[in-house]
Amino acid sequence: MMETPQSDPDKFVDPLSDFEPAEYPSDLHRILAEESVTSMQTTPGIQVSSDATVAEATEKLRELKVSSLLVVNDEQLVGIFTERDVLEKAAENFAEIANHPVSEVMSSDPLVVYETDPVGAALAAIAVAGHRHVPVVRLDGTIAGIVSPKRILRRLSAHLD
Amino acid sequence: MGFRHDLEQDTVSSLPLRDAICVSPETTVRQAVAIMQDKSLGCAVIVDQDDQPVGLFTEQSLLELLTAGDSIDDRTVSEFTDPNFLVVQSSEPAQRVWDAIEKDGLRFIFVADESGQLIGVTGQRGISEYLAESFPQQVLSQRLGSTPWMQQREGA
Repeated sequence: MMETPQSDPDKFVDPLSDFEPAEYPSDLHRILAEESVTSMQTTPGIQVSSDATVAEATEKLRELKVSSLLVVNDEQLVGIFTERDVLEKAAENFAEIANHPVSEVMSSDPLVVYETDPVGAALAAIAVAGHRHVPVVRLDGTIAGIVSPKRILRRLSAHLD
Repeated sequence: MGFRHDLEQDTVSSLPLRDAICVSPETTVRQAVAIMQDKSLGCAVIVDQDDQPVGLFTEQSLLELLTAGDSIDDRTVSEFTDPNFLVVQSSEPAQRVWDAIEKDGLRFIFVADESGQLIGVTGQRGISEYLAESFPQQVLSQRLGSTPWMQQREGA
């Protein structure tokens, strides 16, 4: 069996010794490219179980005046239920499906950003993919919050110049 | 020249605009819902006989109706009017839209021409697209998807 050669601390050369961090023309460029989404004030996100009924979830949207609910099973995100889902999938036959589980009309496998992703990734999910509310998840899949266009604008506003 | 300068120099007309949905107060909620579904837009503007906006019918208005147990066939949009809306002129600075979203939390901002005629709607989506196009390297190159970097395949 080969033995690992002993390294000489005196001859060690740090491979990152000539690393030069990226330079950005402005704070806005840096925040969008490098700052993690957790630097924004993400909202906790209202959660609902996937076996809650369509009526219960819709009432929650109305009562709390929120636009989306995170649908969760065992602390794992399984979907998102939004005002748009109500408009497009539930409004026309609401009485018939009111007692069905929300999992039947939620948007499954939603686009998410990870807490280590930069602010620019959250903006891309909104501006390119067209999602108004983007769940923020930790690397273990548990939910860290939700981010919206308003939160992004608030994060950037102090750095507009 | 920073991004604030762009927001002050660019006019609202440089933001992405979508066609506004205009309905009369007598429109039934079912009719409004069908148009909103078709246009994939979360609100309809209620206009009077002179085509002047008097309020909004929004997805939140729809929630009010549904959770009250009402039928979308029996009720008109005028019964669920949200009077809080903002109309800006297309020649105003884009900063106006930014502030309305960031400070006032508005989702939709309606845009009128010099004569006061509605020419479209912008808002959170529009300003987000404008922002993304202003910083393409930082935004448009980002990964889109549900898989974190570390679980994505590398190489071909």
